[in-house]
Amino acid sequence: MTLDPTLLARIQFGFTVSFHIIFPTISIGLAMFLAIVEGLWLKTRDPLYLQIYRFWLGIFAMGFGVGVVTGIVLSFEFGLGFARFGQIAGPAIGPMIALEVLTSFFLEAGFLGIMLFGLNRVGPRLHFLATCMVALGTLLSASWILSANSWMQTPDGVTMENGHLVVTDWLKVIVNPSWLYRLPHMLAAAYLTGSFLVAGVGAWYLLRGEHVDFGRRTVSLGMAFATVLIACQVFIGDLVYGRMLQYQPAKMQAAEGFWEEQSQSPAPYYWIIVPDQANQKNLFTIGTPYLGSIWLTHSLDGRVEGLKNTPRDRQPIMGWVFYGFRVMYGIAILMFGVVVASLWLHWQGRLFTSRWFLRTLVVMTPSGVVATLGGWYLAETGRQPWVIYNILRTNDAVSPVPAQVLLSTLIAFVCIYALFMAGFLIFTGRAIRKGPRVATDHAESTGSLKHALKPAVLDDPGRNRPVTE
Amino acid sequence: MDLPLLSALFAAFALLLYVLLDGFDLGVGALLLLQPDERLRDRMVDSIMPTWDGNETWLIMAGVAMLAAFPIAYGILLPAFYLPLIIMLLALGLRGVSFEFRYQTEQGRRLWDRCFALGSIVAALMQGLIVGGLIQGVTVDGERFAGSVFDVFQPFPLFVAVAVLAGYVVLGAGWLHLKATPPLRGFAERILHLVAPTFVVLVAAGCGAAAMVQPGVDAAWAQHPILLGVIAALFLGAATALLLAVGGRADGRPFFLGLALFALAFAGFGVTIFPNVVPFRISLWAAASATLSHVFLLVGAVIVTPMVLAYSAFAYRVFRGKTPESGWET
Repeated sequence: MTLDPTLLARIQFGFTVSFHIIFPTISIGLAMFLAIVEGLWLKTRDPLYLQIYRFWLGIFAMGFGVGVVTGIVLSFEFGLGFARFGQIAGPAIGPMIALEVLTSFFLEAGFLGIMLFGLNRVGPRLHFLATCMVALGTLLSASWILSANSWMQTPDGVTMENGHLVVTDWLKVIVNPSWLYRLPHMLAAAYLTGSFLVAGVGAWYLLRGEHVDFGRRTVSLGMAFATVLIACQVFIGDLVYGRMLQYQPAKMQAAEGFWEEQSQSPAPYYWIIVPDQANQKNLFTIGTPYLGSIWLTHSLDGRVEGLKNTPRDRQPIMGWVFYGFRVMYGIAILMFGVVVASLWLHWQGRLFTSRWFLRTLVVMTPSGVVATLGGWYLAETGRQPWVIYNILRTNDAVSPVPAQVLLSTLIAFVCIYALFMAGFLIFTGRAIRKGPRVATDHAESTGSLKHALKPAVLDDPGRNRPVTE
Repeated sequence: MDLPLLSALFAAFALLLYVLLDGFDLGVGALLLLQPDERLRDRMVDSIMPTWDGNETWLIMAGVAMLAAFPIAYGILLPAFYLPLIIMLLALGLRGVSFEFRYQTEQGRRLWDRCFALGSIVAALMQGLIVGGLIQGVTVDGERFAGSVFDVFQPFPLFVAVAVLAGYVVLGAGWLHLKATPPLRGFAERILHLVAPTFVVLVAAGCGAAAMVQPGVDAAWAQHPILLGVIAALFLGAATALLLAVGGRADGRPFFLGLALFALAFAGFGVTIFPNVVPFRISLWAAASATLSHVFLLVGAVIVTPMVLAYSAFAYRVFRGKTPESGWET
């Protein structure tokens, strides 16, 4: 069997970047959550907020650590596996990532130590500032890297001179046509991820009748954030869709699963397809009749453009793009349903006692991560066969490294990353099972130790076990 | 103004800070292997825990500055050092997660400490291997790396790898000399007595060997005999002062002299390869991106770097003094 270096380099990058994005997504969401919770604690001095802060801080630290070490890999992979990409794109994305490092990575790193270990050394207010700086750092980081990635999707502000890319207008490079759409989309995704993570763990405690105060407060916070965010996200997602339809029609053609230049009328909305790229047709489809016309053309009989509108040598692989999109979209619909149910139950006063709802929340704990991964698969596989859209093909970007070497390092990455993931899941699981710590030494200095030791008596009929705290 | 030169200085500044700062982190990590007492290992890790992340960030800064300012060199050197870089990244990753995971477990802590030490040692060795490979030279065809990814695994780079590891151990032991109370400080003193002279001998031998494997090194000595001579003399002076300072009342002196040793070695390396960014092959001007990329990078660097240095210094200040024996309160 001959190994294709391009394919191996792509699998390696795809694997390492997919693994990495899980952790920043969680970190961006949790950092903002922690900043809000610490702010609430400073304002109300309710020790429950401090307890929530400390508990999620531990998990945040682990996720952040894995995110940092897997992120360093990426900043070198632009050259390791894709040397020509580094040489061509470096003048445009290099300075942006350099500014990301300067304005964001250092900010996070500088204040993370204080956030994690400095509460008793700097006092609550300065500590809150540190938390806010870390949250700001994650936000700035997302802004820069989304700008760099959006430039690869919709490049602007550059020309080619003698085979080298030259930046002519930085404003156009940074504020490229898709950045201002994709950045809020990713931020909302990360905050939704954090919300469902926090609510899911809280719901698990409520189901077990443990740490009930903690569980109620985090379910409330998580669902409140999720309610606002999913409403925004539906709107933003629609804007992104329209923007990409305009700038990368091939991606959105592939995303809806149609091949013919104009689909049948009325168009169904496909949920499952088995595409046959070689023969430019679907072998099998399951869809809802009329729904494609209604959603995509806002009429009963509108036709949808298929992938044959794009020449074959410029087509992405439909299966990846379609399923990336469906995973993201499907989970968004589920999230929307959960939020609607939570509003109803909240109104009925049963939010913390409906076991089916709490179970759903537990299942939805990692939903944000999966949806975000789906969205990135849509974005990145849909850009193919280009690495910089319409400027550099992925095939032409690969490094002169032998396929056997690429395969060996891929295997090494898989093994080491599996260890990272196992460690993260085991220790996070253990921290969740152990539950939040109470009555902290620091609460003493705020004068609320007594309050912390005696949680308010709960009148929750669904509670079947005493609080183990 | 010579913008590529300024960008090169910024990249070199970032790389030097990385070597100095993560150098002592990696040295402390490597020393975990030699410390059988778990409580003392806890304190070793505690001493670097609050600031290691920022230290490692300078490596990304250096790499990305090169991507921005010298994309041609970036696209040649990274494939050339594909294997040591990937191994280094995996090792740094192992070290990084060990930081977090070791605190999560009582019975598994010894295992994660071994991973920590292994990651630190391998990362240090790979960094040394790359330095050796740079001096040895890489095969270039136009803008492409044209050699084999195995070229770097030669006796000279392997020798430099050992020297860099020894140097990082000196920095790490110097850091513990500064931050630790007895008995951990005594451990640091014993290490310094043993490894500091070894490091100096390895560097001296390495300089001699470099001239043999790379004619460009001879040429550099012929071109800057006084400058390189002064650097070498200062290096030997600092090394002597370091050995005399071990166990003395000035806790920080061995550490800061260790930093001086690395800064001098770094300066010697810089003088030797200047003005090339792919050593002895491609000059920094030939590998540079167009003007606007430098402008953006440098304006950002000039505005933001002072702030970064200020709050990084603040973070060190928050955790100044001896590392508490009970660990950092949270």
